Amino acid sequence: MQLDSARGLKRALIETVLTPFVSVGPQVKILAVPAGPVAGVSPVQPSIAVGIGRKAGHEFQIAVRCQRRELMTGKEVEQIRRKAKNEVDVRYIGPVSKRAAPWTQLRHRPLQIGISTGHVKVTAGTLGAFVRKRGGTDPHILSNNHVLANENRAKTGDAIIQAGTYDGGADPADRIAALAGMARLRKTEPNAVDAAIGKLDDALEFDPRTIRGLGKLAGLGAAFVDEGTEVAKLGRTTGLTRGRVTAFELDNVVVTFDIGPLRFDGQIEIEGADDGPFSRGGDSGSLIVEANTRLAVALLFAGTEAGGENDQGLTYANPLRSVLDALKVDLVAE
Amino acid sequence: MAESHAHTLDEVRAAKSRALAVFEPLAAVVGVGITRIGDGYGLKVNLREPPPSDTRLPTEVDGVPVRLEVVGQPRKQ
Repeated sequence: MQLDSARGLKRALIETVLTPFVSVGPQVKILAVPAGPVAGVSPVQPSIAVGIGRKAGHEFQIAVRCQRRELMTGKEVEQIRRKAKNEVDVRYIGPVSKRAAPWTQLRHRPLQIGISTGHVKVTAGTLGAFVRKRGGTDPHILSNNHVLANENRAKTGDAIIQAGTYDGGADPADRIAALAGMARLRKTEPNAVDAAIGKLDDALEFDPRTIRGLGKLAGLGAAFVDEGTEVAKLGRTTGLTRGRVTAFELDNVVVTFDIGPLRFDGQIEIEGADDGPFSRGGDSGSLIVEANTRLAVALLFAGTEAGGENDQGLTYANPLRSVLDALKVDLVAE
Repeated sequence: MAESHAHTLDEVRAAKSRALAVFEPLAAVVGVGITRIGDGYGLKVNLREPPPSDTRLPTEVDGVPVRLEVVGQPRKQ
């Protein structure tokens, strides 16, 4: 058949014969999803995939790929054969599964920098660092407001879990902390930080210094972070990445949140150092350190899909000293 | 055309506060910050999308050079 006919038939087959597979089946998890409310992630099919293959020359046919052997002789494939007048190439490809989850998306005890976490109603973000309230002794975890406090909507005491909901975590089995404070996100005036803390549950072990694959966190870096500074982060989605500061003291960074567009002033901008992005959705809350000294300089919270030397997007981060001052906490790095 | 010389951070900071007012009527600005240009500092102005082809955007503000970049819409991650 001609290519246009094959395309039309393929669309029709998906809408008719394969409808049952689109509405049932286990939930498929996308790797890079921004930290936000869990609702709104659609369930998707396993089982039968339909596409277009070349038969010979300019002749095309419907390509059918089955993940289970019994589907090869099932009624759906039979219907497809009939509707395509047998111009079909049916193959068994075996189960297609998501690759093994990265280390950062797994459950970890003791807790470490760079692993999946979030408020129970949030998909998943990243545990940035461990902090203590000034004058206090209780350990807390640090991440973004939109990761731990669901964009102002959470209440003090709400459960924070590790791994995050999107990575299979649940309350109470995976609860690690209770929301203890946030810098409220403001809609009508510029924000400086997107940050919140959760008080760690009693007797929970944590390692406040190891940044897996990079080394030990050395402490708090200088307030001034110049253009060209080489940085690194360990995050829930893209893992350990390296980057370079492309701008600082960036004002009027208008960022899309669920609660609307919010303006941030005084931000740090970073590009990926290699071929890939420095960050993607789910990396929010990552602690950003100077790559050579491993001194902490910023808290990751947003990004774009375009821009930067490699055009893989730019990352935006709050200066860490602003974050610590806003929450009245100090970094734990010993 | 301003005389070409390396600008100090203080000069660029002063120009930065004016840059938003200069660019915002002309394009969708999603960031105005400081970067390095040549031997000194300059302004980085981020745009959400390419400006209309008939729009001429300034290449400097108060003599401070400007680097423009189209970065798309920043989103929480």
